Amino acid sequence: MRRQGPPSEIRRLAAPISRLIDGAWQRMHWWVATMVVLYALSGITVVKSDEVAVILRWGRLVGATPALQEHGPGLLFAFPRPIDKVVRVQVKHVWEVPVDTLSPMIDAAEAENEEEELENGVKLTLNPLTQGYAITGDENIVHLSMIARYRVRDPALWAFYGPKSEDVLRVEVTAAMVRSLGEMGVDRVLSDGRESLVATATKRAQQGLDACQSGLELTLLELTGLTPPIAVMQDFGAVQSAFIDAQTLKNDAQAFAESTIPQAHATADASVQSAHGDAAAALATAEGDAAAFRALDREYRASPAVVRERLYRDAVERAISTAGSVRWVPPPVGNTYHGFLISITPSSAGPASTSSPSSTPTTPYPVPPPPTGTRQRQNQNNSQNNGPVPSAGTPGGDERDPD
Amino acid sequence: MADAMTTQRWLRAIVGTLALLAIIIQATAVVVGEGQAVLITRFGRPLRAATQAGLHWKLPWPIDSASLLDMRRRVYETGQTEMLTRDKKNVIARTFVVWRIGDPLAFTQAIGSQGNAESKLDGLLTNAAIGTLGGHDMSALVSTNPSDLQVDQIEAQLLSSTAPIALRSYGVAVEQIRLERIALPEENVSAVFDQMRAERRQFAMKYQAEGDQEASRIHSEAQLEAARIIAKGAEETARIRGQSAAEVAKTYADAHRTDPELYSFTRSLESLGKLVTGSTSLILRTDSEPFSLLQNKGK
Repeated sequence: MRRQGPPSEIRRLAAPISRLIDGAWQRMHWWVATMVVLYALSGITVVKSDEVAVILRWGRLVGATPALQEHGPGLLFAFPRPIDKVVRVQVKHVWEVPVDTLSPMIDAAEAENEEEELENGVKLTLNPLTQGYAITGDENIVHLSMIARYRVRDPALWAFYGPKSEDVLRVEVTAAMVRSLGEMGVDRVLSDGRESLVATATKRAQQGLDACQSGLELTLLELTGLTPPIAVMQDFGAVQSAFIDAQTLKNDAQAFAESTIPQAHATADASVQSAHGDAAAALATAEGDAAAFRALDREYRASPAVVRERLYRDAVERAISTAGSVRWVPPPVGNTYHGFLISITPSSAGPASTSSPSSTPTTPYPVPPPPTGTRQRQNQNNSQNNGPVPSAGTPGGDERDPD
Repeated sequence: MADAMTTQRWLRAIVGTLALLAIIIQATAVVVGEGQAVLITRFGRPLRAATQAGLHWKLPWPIDSASLLDMRRRVYETGQTEMLTRDKKNVIARTFVVWRIGDPLAFTQAIGSQGNAESKLDGLLTNAAIGTLGGHDMSALVSTNPSDLQVDQIEAQLLSSTAPIALRSYGVAVEQIRLERIALPEENVSAVFDQMRAERRQFAMKYQAEGDQEASRIHSEAQLEAARIIAKGAEETARIRGQSAAEVAKTYADAHRTDPELYSFTRSLESLGKLVTGSTSLILRTDSEPFSLLQNKGK
């Protein structure tokens, strides 16, 4: 039994090794056993909460589908190396990479130089090798700076097949942005088209990332800068201020309109109100006058001569007291006319002369004749003929001898 | 004692076997990881390429030797090359290419290293780009009219004209070619700036003119509206006044109709009152009332 070992030469060579093993085992067999056990357990891995792990067994990915390949957070049992190799990938972490391929890429000193050149009226240009920019659909030039945020979507692809993340992101995002800018006008890009530009570029970049099996997901593309070149910045500013000026003009006009129309309403309303007021007042006056006239009429009907005379005398007295000067002239003698006579031709009713029973054929109190014909005309005639205005009295029947 | 001896013999056997196995595996097994390939050569002559991940076998050194190749995709950006479009505009274009080793054998033989591959690709792509862009107008690259844009076609054309050559000649699989940048030669940029400035000025003037126009429109509309409102008010006022005059006239007429004669008389007296003012001189005969009363006194 004991002689069944390897040939004597090998045994002779192996003897020191055997002695080493025997010695090691005798002196520290617990230690060795522990090492062996630890090695056997070395395949057990802890997968952290933001990670997934995949297992390579003899280099090949274990599992047929991504769902079977990926192992979530927790304890992962695998064989020790070199059989299994566990690759852990942070899938929830969002990384970011600045994309400066289209940004001006000039340092502060150079920017100052450029401003000086601009002041001196030197025409500026851009060196495509050192200064990034993109051309818009209407052949304007704009500078862009971006930050791409991404995470790993497919750990196996990303870990083993995809290109280096930062390289592929930079070129895919740049290409997508150049392409998307190339189909939009500069005015849209710089105003309301910004969001749609970013959305289109993000979509294109993601398609590119998928096409090259990068296993990456572009979670957010952020535009940190989007400006026209310094050389034409002023002109863009001028458009902006022209726009604002135009807006101000419109607002001023609007304000004018908003004050003018209510004012017009107020004026019109005031005019209408005053007309209403005047109308009411005029009507009230008219009604008052009418009532007074009716009252007077009642009195007149009761005693016409008295009322008539009172009214006449009141009027004449008022006229005499109001007039600036009153002259009295004697009545005409013979056929020569020496003055004026105010007389009241006797009415058909024959008013009683209460105060002056004169012997003369003419009535001492001239009383206006009762009107005939249209009231209006009569009215005028009466005031002309009978009022105490200077008028040519008619000699003849009206003349009388004062004696 | 016999137990200890037995244990030691087993231990020796196990350790010996394991060591032997390790040596054999180290010499003959090749572990090809995902994203890797291995090229096995026998006495320097390429024998086969293993592109599948997993355990592969070879004869021990010095008969067979294995070299691992990185099969990952790689990104390469070409230089910026100035080229002419069909409408004779100078354009500086830069493309990028995503590539990987497509044929490990051909790749190793023709190129050997990544750096070499990229310089070969650069030449290939630059040529293709010059040829392809020369067949398109500038508007195929940048345009606000979607029907002019032909970037997809250009990229497809670039891919189809370079991918087969790259694979056949260099064992390089080109998977994606994109136009990464489109720029203008430095000397053309100032012309573009001039154009941009002119365009901006035009816009500024347009905004200004529109603002003026709009403002004066609002202004005159407001004035017109105000005039209309005031005119309407005046019309209403005139109507009210007319109506009122009619009512007043009717009121007076109703009253005066009861006694036209009295009205005529009182109206005459009113006129008298109104006509005689402070500047009026009255010349009356002495036999007029009330002077006559004094003369007739005593009679």
